[in-house]
Amino acid sequence: MAGRTLSLQARQLLAASLGLVAFLGLTGYALDQAFVEVAGNTMRQRLQNYAWAYMRGTELLRNGDIIPPENPPDARLSSVGSGLYAAILADDFRWESESALGRELPFDEALKPGEDRYEGPIETSAGTLYRQSMGMAWEVSDIKAVNVTVHVAETTASMDRQVSAFRRALWAYLGAAGALLLALQTLVLRWSLAPLRRVVGEMEKVTAGEGERLSGSYPQELTLLTDSLNALIDVGREQIARNRNILGDLAHSLKTPLAVVRSELDSGHSQADIRAAVEDQVARMNQIVAYQLSRAAASGHQTFAAPLPIRPCAEEIVQSLEKVYAGKNILCEFEVDDHACFYGERGDLMELLGNLLENAFKWARHRVLLTVRAMTIAPQRRAAILITVEDDGPGIAPEDVERLLQRGVRGDERVHGHGIGLAIVQDLVKAYRGELAVERSAELGGASFVVRFAPVV
Amino acid sequence: MRILLVEDEAPLRETLAARLKREGYAVDAASDGEEGIYLGREVPFDVGIIDLGLPRMSGMDLVRLLRSEGKKFPILILTARSSWQDKVEGLKSGADDYLVKPFHVEELLARLNALLRRAAGWSKPTLDCGPITLDLAAQTVTVEGVSVDLTSYEYKVLEYLMLHAGELVSKADLTEHIYQQDFDRDSNVLEVFIGRLRKKLDPEGTLKPIETVRGRGYRFAIPRTE
Repeated sequence: MAGRTLSLQARQLLAASLGLVAFLGLTGYALDQAFVEVAGNTMRQRLQNYAWAYMRGTELLRNGDIIPPENPPDARLSSVGSGLYAAILADDFRWESESALGRELPFDEALKPGEDRYEGPIETSAGTLYRQSMGMAWEVSDIKAVNVTVHVAETTASMDRQVSAFRRALWAYLGAAGALLLALQTLVLRWSLAPLRRVVGEMEKVTAGEGERLSGSYPQELTLLTDSLNALIDVGREQIARNRNILGDLAHSLKTPLAVVRSELDSGHSQADIRAAVEDQVARMNQIVAYQLSRAAASGHQTFAAPLPIRPCAEEIVQSLEKVYAGKNILCEFEVDDHACFYGERGDLMELLGNLLENAFKWARHRVLLTVRAMTIAPQRRAAILITVEDDGPGIAPEDVERLLQRGVRGDERVHGHGIGLAIVQDLVKAYRGELAVERSAELGGASFVVRFAPVV
Repeated sequence: MRILLVEDEAPLRETLAARLKREGYAVDAASDGEEGIYLGREVPFDVGIIDLGLPRMSGMDLVRLLRSEGKKFPILILTARSSWQDKVEGLKSGADDYLVKPFHVEELLARLNALLRRAAGWSKPTLDCGPITLDLAAQTVTVEGVSVDLTSYEYKVLEYLMLHAGELVSKADLTEHIYQQDFDRDSNVLEVFIGRLRKKLDPEGTLKPIETVRGRGYRFAIPRTE
């Protein structure tokens, strides 16, 4: 099966046919063997009966002559070459049935009284034979006994005919049964695979844009799959919509600085003024591009996310920040639950923690505190996650908080200093259906950013 | 101060190199990772600026290789990728700071200053040795609060000596770290600079800030006051 794998239906059919062939073959073989044995036994029984019939029906005269029965036990014994032969031997007397006329038959051996032999197959010029022989002592007078031997033999021709007739019938019936079973199997398979074909058909419609999602009811075994597919379709749609929005936002927000540059070029201002204006707009465009780029990179879907331990990510980022802000001598404290996990993309978590922590390092005087708590509510649900980043910097005035978090404000228009980093955090929190709050740190006195992710089933 | 600059984009490399030279740095520029590792092995640099997206050997591998060969000079990486995952990767490879493209050259210069200062064990952006104060950011020198007017080369010599205050700095070190490779090492320009510095910093001859260790080099003799 290199390259291509067999279809489910082909696999099932192949397995079923192999099983069927093996089963029917063995059954046929067993029946065949049994029949052959029965046929052999029947022939032996028959030959024995004939031999007894000859023994009983034969008369012995006083002069030692032997008179065979008038009517042979089987009509075939009187038709020449019928395949059933008999002979009686007594001392120097020998009688053969009419059927044996002109045939060389192995009827010469005289048996001792009481001897009873069944032999075969014997190859002779008259064909393959089975022979029943019997020896007996008959008392002719008080002082004289004669040893009589009866041979009865039959060729295998009639048995062979029976066996081959049986075989023909047997294999014909078995073949018909097999074909019927296979046809039934195919039908059953088609029936039980029908929901799968329906999924494929519906998926094709969705891909072609003719359907929204997988509809209809499916067997219990498939609902998990179809539900997941539906979730995947929704995620894909959301992603496309988001990307379209991002692209639109990007194009629109670039238009303003471009328009400023355009009008500045036409304005007839001095070289230095134009230079300054262009410089401003370049910085603005750069911010816009960086912000939209990170928005595009954030995936924000958690449907299939494996749990990602938060602690190692946080440690990596803090180590990086301690390197970059080595000159500030900042003490970053950690209170992270070991089992706290984020259900999403690693890149998103890094972005979230990186931006929050960098803000804190930037504004802190000496201390930054990162707290991550996992709160398990029900054992079957993912734990709620609470991430708090605090610093001992100047903090953010309550009247600025709202402006800072205002929805719909683009990255380029936000409060200076908390720049696009916070906008990215906000987008990520939104994408993961969390909440972001800005408070004053009770412990350190500076800003405190609190991100809360609700438990997910 | 001698800088290793590895950047494959020629216009950026040339403008940066020109600007850094104007700021008084000695610049060795390379256009790919392999040239970068060659220079890194041959020249005693004070600081490196390495772009992450380099042909032949990535910037990340270059930093890793330099670190594995025991090169300890601070390295700043330049990257067009601004995601935290990339930043963390870069810093984990052994770099000390990063700057996301595009950037202002002033920002780069400030970061370089900070890296050099930190590498020399100074935590503040001003170097204080007794009455002499050198402001790395403003590139100014004051003695007892009075500003001293220095040429750019004089400033660089003093900066190097003060960053390594108390340590013996050989003439070869000084020339290597302050001038380009093609500088004529036999000339006595260095002695001239040292002489002028002594006169400007200590016209009365009472402080004696720069000591000559005969046959071996110079030492900034006033201890750090941090």
